[in-house]
Amino acid sequence: MAGSLLAALVSLDGAGHYFHWHWIDISYANLTVIALMVVTFVAALFVPFPGRRSKKETK
Amino acid sequence: MSESPDVKVAPWTGPQRPYDIIKEGTIAFIVVAILTIGLALVFSSPDDPQVTVQQWSTKAPIDFAQTALSELNGTSGTAQYGAPYNTASAGQQLGPFTLAKWLGATIPVNTVRDFVVDPLTDQPATPALSKALAQWKGASSAQRTTWVDAYTKVSGKMTFANGTVSVPTSAAGPVPVMINTLEQMARSGALDQALVTQNGFYTSNFTLPLLFLADGSYLGDLAQQRHLLGTQWGMMNETGNYPGQAWLWLYTFWYQVPPFSTSANADIQVWGIMMLLSLVLLLVPFIPGLRSIPRWTRVYRLIWRDHYRSQGA
Repeated sequence: MAGSLLAALVSLDGAGHYFHWHWIDISYANLTVIALMVVTFVAALFVPFPGRRSKKETK
Repeated sequence: MSESPDVKVAPWTGPQRPYDIIKEGTIAFIVVAILTIGLALVFSSPDDPQVTVQQWSTKAPIDFAQTALSELNGTSGTAQYGAPYNTASAGQQLGPFTLAKWLGATIPVNTVRDFVVDPLTDQPATPALSKALAQWKGASSAQRTTWVDAYTKVSGKMTFANGTVSVPTSAAGPVPVMINTLEQMARSGALDQALVTQNGFYTSNFTLPLLFLADGSYLGDLAQQRHLLGTQWGMMNETGNYPGQAWLWLYTFWYQVPPFSTSANADIQVWGIMMLLSLVLLLVPFIPGLRSIPRWTRVYRLIWRDHYRSQGA
């Protein structure tokens, strides 16, 4: 009972999936995390600081 | 002598504003906590059952018996590893520096005693086992070697049927009884317990069962199926479709390329490279050229673009 209550909504168990190219061998799960990190980095560069616009406007 | 533009930086004379690091830290903590709890609720976490000696000997009885024999005849990976388990070889070395040997056998493992004889001695005595152990313990080293060699010679014809390991020889003294009893002990789960409790009252030291498992093929085969071998970038993988330790990409990268991919000393060589690179990272502010990269790439001007725009205006 407790097990079914605590079970994941999306199961990631089962056979893993991997991207293989020459000697590069990486799971799609890791690739997703790396892609998200890159997106976060780019967003940190380009998304304006919160409150910046409102401060400018109040000046 | 003119100073480097990386070192000679004009002090900031522009406006300043207060910065609340406690507030920022609290927000970051709350966001990460919500993300962690939310993702754990949705995806849970990998929970592969522990691989045991019992499971190994039940699913691959011949592999287990062959590995037990390799512990007896000294051909197993552990028996030949060197430091920190024994002095059978120099172990990991970096060029002429035998670093593992210098540290010595700090976790001494005698494969005959620790994997075979001691666990069998802990077994409830049966007449056949008591006789075999008495014969083994009373024999000279040369006699033991003769028995083990005789068993090893015919081990390729080993069979397993009805819970019994058989080999076609009568010249191996007590070895057939020892191997067979160890097999039965393993299949009952008693060997898992015996290997763990040898290290004292607390049963949290799994060194011996792990080494024993690693000497066979079963554990390696499971690791290969789950993409966890060193040759499969396994260091950064998790079981199933869970993301793993992506930040270890550089560490495991070196294992995939020559000369490390074929080196017997890859562990210490890769460790050495990573220590060197860590030192370089630590000393970036003092390394000409490397420390200029932020100035050349001008990423900081992108982050503080409003300020630089106003400066230009």
